Amino acid sequence: MEQDRSVASILIVDDDNDIRTLLASFLETQGFSVTKARDGIEMQHCLDERAHDLAILDLMLPGQDGLDLCRQLRQRSGMPVIMLTARTEETDRIVGLEIGADDYVTKPFNPRELLARIRAVLRRSGGAMAAPGGSPPGHTYRFEGWTLSLERRELTNPAGVMVDLSTGEFDLLLAFLEAPNRVLTREHLLDAARNQPDAVFDRAIDVQVSRLRKKIEPGELSPPMIRTVRGAGYLFMPRVARA
Amino acid sequence: MRRWFNTLAARTVLLMLIGVGIVHVASLYAYQHALDREMSLANEARLADQLLTIRRSVMRVVPAERESVAHELSGGPVEAHWSATERARSGGPGAEAWKGLHGRLKEQAADLVDDDIVIGANRKTGADPHLALISLRLPDESWINITLFAPDARPQSTHGTWVSTSLMALGVVAISVLVIGWMTTPLRRFAAAARQLYHGTDRVEVAETGPQEIRDAAVAFNEMQARIRKLVAARTQTLAAVSHDLKTPLTRMRLRAEVLADRAQAEGLVADIREMERMLDQTLAHLRGDRKDEETRPLDLVALLATLADQAADRGGSALLIAPDTAVVDGRPMALKRAFGNLIDNAIKYGGGAEIKVEPNRESIIVSISDGGPGIPEDRMDEMFEPFTRLETSRSRETGGFGLGLSIAHDIVEGHGGTITLANRPEGGLRVTIRLPCRATTPA
Repeated sequence: MEQDRSVASILIVDDDNDIRTLLASFLETQGFSVTKARDGIEMQHCLDERAHDLAILDLMLPGQDGLDLCRQLRQRSGMPVIMLTARTEETDRIVGLEIGADDYVTKPFNPRELLARIRAVLRRSGGAMAAPGGSPPGHTYRFEGWTLSLERRELTNPAGVMVDLSTGEFDLLLAFLEAPNRVLTREHLLDAARNQPDAVFDRAIDVQVSRLRKKIEPGELSPPMIRTVRGAGYLFMPRVARA
Repeated sequence: MRRWFNTLAARTVLLMLIGVGIVHVASLYAYQHALDREMSLANEARLADQLLTIRRSVMRVVPAERESVAHELSGGPVEAHWSATERARSGGPGAEAWKGLHGRLKEQAADLVDDDIVIGANRKTGADPHLALISLRLPDESWINITLFAPDARPQSTHGTWVSTSLMALGVVAISVLVIGWMTTPLRRFAAAARQLYHGTDRVEVAETGPQEIRDAAVAFNEMQARIRKLVAARTQTLAAVSHDLKTPLTRMRLRAEVLADRAQAEGLVADIREMERMLDQTLAHLRGDRKDEETRPLDLVALLATLADQAADRGGSALLIAPDTAVVDGRPMALKRAFGNLIDNAIKYGGGAEIKVEPNRESIIVSISDGGPGIPEDRMDEMFEPFTRLETSRSRETGGFGLGLSIAHDIVEGHGGTITLANRPEGGLRVTIRLPCRATTPA
């Protein structure tokens, strides 16, 4: 089992009592240790008391709003942040360089999707936790002229054209980019792409991989990138640069 | 032609032309008439004078010299001879015209009575230059016979008059065209501003300048615009606030569903929440219109449609994508995704499945989304893009929604400079055709 499931501590900042309580108990059943804060001031107390592995910030807060708090956190530490927002139109800015949140979910969110995002962010931030004041850990991957931006959750091809990915495809590609030239088992990929609550069978991963292939290897002339390793899983072949 | 005539400027110019034309013709006619009359009067007086002078001169000399004196005094249109009898015979074509001369002669020479003057009009053809033969009796019963030839051609006044007055009329028309153009400019500004207001772009102030009437209209227009904007903004804000605030209780419900013991009920609840969320999203999307704040960028339409088709398939719908490897357009990714998502959802909900075809050509990329449903009655096609329009068939009632999907898609596609059309397929079902312009230029 992955280590973050047992020990990771999460700080929830939301002014709605019920959401705070409900979300905390949901995450506790998933094995996280959770601290709750009502606003920026309480959040500060919690941060003073102990270190956290990840913060979930509501965008709309009394006093300082989530964007301000996120900016502050970014300046102080490398603690990853996931934003909760009811406004889809804000999402560009939230995950943009300006604010620097690692990810976001829009209300009303599927708790399982939030869970998957938390795990993905924790996995990604892994060793990069100790970078206070610096820029957020590497947020862009490059391979074969393609660029995957984690801030914008966007993939662009060598011609600079944006290629749309579903959430599952994005997470799958990210799993490949984090471990290039290694055979990844279906179980590993399934865990990485767990955003789809329904995707519980191995076959589902095969479907996702074939969809992803169609997008990053669109023509017959496109260089092959994902190789199927019989009986084992998949392997991502290109050289990957992280920036 | 008709279109052209419908403009205020054209109508005014035409009216001016007719008016100027009538005045022009009438005044020319009156002027010419007066000129003619004046001239004939003057001619008559001069002629009578000349005739009487000849008569007096001839009278004063002895008969033997009379012929030579008469001859000497001839000149111009007048040729005089002396004789014992009158040569002229009164009457003849156009004799009426000589009445004036007759009268004038009598007036100027008191000794002349009716019988002493015989004026015979030209009895020959019109080509004959001799106009009349006039005989005047001398006191001794002999006669002076004067042949009157056609005087030189009339003064050539008319030609010049026509040119000058026509030029004047043309000038008037030209100036009126300019003036009308100048006066209708504010009207065109109003029209443009009203249209922009309708399309919901930023506030368009009409300049409050010009003549008093125009200024009043501009002020009234700007006030009206401000009121409309306020009303729309208030409505939008209210709806957005309600939609937005509903998301917090929905989030709580979604979290509570997670801990419900009865999984079947929990799933029903989750489905309800998802539907409400969809309706809220559509409402907010509709209020926002086409998201101009999202960045326009090159994107692969095929990848975007593939995501949507796969998503639909994952939810149990039937969606088939027939497309080339890539098709690049300049667009706002989230907006386009919403537009096509709505169309594909509709095809699956109302038509049992979606067949999505992408056909790029020189200027545009054509995406058609066909379904196998009942289609749309021809007489309701036009209203389908209006917000809150729903076909109340037995099918749609159970599927929910506000009837905003098509309207949102329409706004977004038009916002990208594209077109969207609906048509019933001959083989049954509806086909939605979207044309999006290709990328203008490929980056270097």
